[in-house]
Amino acid sequence: MTAPVLEARGISKSFPGVRALQDVSMTLGRGSIHALLGENGAGKSTLIKVVTGVHQLDAGTLLLDGNSVHFAGPREAIAAGIAVVHQERNLIPRFSVGENILLERLGDNLLRSVDHGAIHAEAKRWLDVLELDVDSRIPVSRLNVAKMQLVEIAKALSLRSRVLLLDEPTASLTPHETVVLFGLLRKLRDEGVSIVFVSHKLEEVQEICDQVTVLRDGRNACDSRSMAGLGRQDLVRLMIGRSEQIPNWSVRDRTTAEPVLELYGIATSIGHNGIDLTLHRGEILGLYGLIGAGRTELAKSILGIYRITSGEIRIGGQTAHIRSMAEAIHCYRLGYISEDRKQEGLILMHSVLENAGMTVWRKLAGAFGVLTDRTIRARVEPVIRQLDVRTPSLAQTVGNLSGGNQQKISVAKWLAAEVSILIVDEPSVGIDIKTKAYLHGLLRQLADRGTAILLITSDMPEMITLADRIAVMDEYRVKGVIANDRVYEGMSERIMHLIHGQEAA
Amino acid sequence: MSAALSRVLQADWFGPLAIVIVATLVIGSIEPSFLSSFNIQILLLAVAVNCVIAFSQMIIIAVGQMNLSVGAIGGLAAISFAGMMQVWGLPGPLAALAALAIGAAAGLFNGALIAATGISAFVVTLASLSVFKGINLGITRAQPFYGVPESVKAFGNTTFLGPIPWLVLPAILVVVAIMHLLNRQVLGRHILAVGGNQSAAELSGISVARTVVWTHAISGTLAALAGIMFVARLQLGQPSIGDDWLIPSFAAPVIGGAVLAGGHVSVSGTLLGVVIVAIITQALVIFRIDPFFVQVVLGFLILWAVGINRLREIRVERVLGRI
Repeated sequence: MTAPVLEARGISKSFPGVRALQDVSMTLGRGSIHALLGENGAGKSTLIKVVTGVHQLDAGTLLLDGNSVHFAGPREAIAAGIAVVHQERNLIPRFSVGENILLERLGDNLLRSVDHGAIHAEAKRWLDVLELDVDSRIPVSRLNVAKMQLVEIAKALSLRSRVLLLDEPTASLTPHETVVLFGLLRKLRDEGVSIVFVSHKLEEVQEICDQVTVLRDGRNACDSRSMAGLGRQDLVRLMIGRSEQIPNWSVRDRTTAEPVLELYGIATSIGHNGIDLTLHRGEILGLYGLIGAGRTELAKSILGIYRITSGEIRIGGQTAHIRSMAEAIHCYRLGYISEDRKQEGLILMHSVLENAGMTVWRKLAGAFGVLTDRTIRARVEPVIRQLDVRTPSLAQTVGNLSGGNQQKISVAKWLAAEVSILIVDEPSVGIDIKTKAYLHGLLRQLADRGTAILLITSDMPEMITLADRIAVMDEYRVKGVIANDRVYEGMSERIMHLIHGQEAA
Repeated sequence: MSAALSRVLQADWFGPLAIVIVATLVIGSIEPSFLSSFNIQILLLAVAVNCVIAFSQMIIIAVGQMNLSVGAIGGLAAISFAGMMQVWGLPGPLAALAALAIGAAAGLFNGALIAATGISAFVVTLASLSVFKGINLGITRAQPFYGVPESVKAFGNTTFLGPIPWLVLPAILVVVAIMHLLNRQVLGRHILAVGGNQSAAELSGISVARTVVWTHAISGTLAALAGIMFVARLQLGQPSIGDDWLIPSFAAPVIGGAVLAGGHVSVSGTLLGVVIVAIITQALVIFRIDPFFVQVVLGFLILWAVGINRLREIRVERVLGRI
């Protein structure tokens, strides 16, 4: 291997309630393209944020050219020649392409006027490097998504970076644009730039990367090994591992129970097409897929948040037209545990009692809509006790609880509402292993008692632990439904096979 | 004991209450006439009217929005109230009901526009402020209605049990009603939930649109009530009623610990905020300071209160490890 440019050694990083990285290492060689792989939540973005100075590491060292460095913030990392292109756009839409590329270098003298001529000359240079045919004077908002992506890369390059981190750079590119980008990355590599390439598309990783680091559950599954001799199956195995303990639960088959939620040929305004699914009473139906496969969006379409353009939804055998979440709860007894606990699940500034009781206020109100704490408490307290939520009192502000306990409360409010169909979206993101195991037991118990559960998760072991049947989604379609025989290796391979096509088998 | 004490110290009403007590003692010891029966009557009168204005804004802050048209709705209701009595000869209570209905309708108009279009409350109420004020001026030609019946004038200017003005009665009713609404009514819980986290509320089956519409209707009704009380106090239907309500309407809830982003308001804190504003205004009069300085003091008071809230937020975020 060539001399290392950037080296991360034994990095650990914790957030309240979760250990995101544990003793993780990665070594970037000069002039190499290094794949950083892992499932959702494995710690890839945390590692990127540590390397680029967004997060401060708890333990471990960062070495740049062999010297220990410490970045107090992103600016220091940029100054050291480390640039990152995030998955989400970081451009100012109304500013011109040129201004966006040189945003950090418009000058520190706030009184001097901006020299647009010089900006566009400089921007043009970097656009030319990318062979990008874009006028640097037009506003970014007039570009398509792919061009915006390339402008971000131009911006990162113009910082004269020696290390370039690309987080899912091809997610919004067409195959042709991807080819152009790869050509460019190879050229940069040959000029000595070190590139970290994060992608879910394994065929791309195999095509362009020469080294690979795989993370699993915040630890190294492999540390900077050569891509030579690694097949696609090897990568999949490294990513999903087989060390996970799958509880020794019995295989369940509920397909003979009566169907409670049926989708027939559902198409939506956001791109789903021809979706057929059936969820039976007491069944856990898993929806597996990579980020962007359209699973959460499908759930939200069922709940009336996105518009359904054709097809039929039946609930309990009757055709259902759900127009809002309020209707879903009160007319169809349908609940939804959001993947985004903080934004969509909880009101962090309010108390445990208020959060857990939110779904039942309407139901529990007496004459003239009067509510008393006593009636809400009577409904909420048993659930909170059942879930073993660690809180000093029901009056405690939810924002002060740990991630695991917060998640228990977002589950509690649907138990209090006594729903018969529950859509659970990524239930164990950001919670500790103990709580995760507990939640798994709870979901299984709910299903045993007759609740039908639609489980969305990108966590393969979790999926195989819980689901009775697994529907695999990709690009807003259902690629297939398989019965779960709870044999981890075989199941994960069949699922990956459905997503990645023939050659993965 | 220490837990109970720290809860009291952190309560929204604690700081404002301490200010009220200290200010009363200090001003009273320098100028004993501050505690005279006449002065207390003036203070109560100001608190009664201003707290209704403050609650009209507070309920909108609770849902996470702002209502710039509070004063315009109050003014429109005020001249409608006086005008209906003078021109059509309606009895006071009937005219008051009609004026409240006008306020509710104006609020519904704001709320429905915001809910249906998704345009920010700031913009919608800024525009409707101009609409309502324009209707007011079109009706009155900027001239007051003087034909206010004696009974209404008496209600606005007489007292009971010594120095207590009758106008305190509707204010007390409003305080009780708002407390009940926010603590004991489904609608009140929905208002705070929507203000606290709109998407979480929506995904928990709360209709955000309906909640927003109702909140604005309540705000409009309260603004109208404040307008009616103003007419009773001034004894005429002045078209300029409401023009200077905006700043005080925000000052009191913010001093009382309301979170401007929504989800948390304090009825007792807001009431104390109104008292603080009244005391400062009155103190400036007693110490013969130019009353125009009230605006300056109010402005700084808002900044101070928002600053305190921000400090609290930073402390919470530190605890949560976000900084």
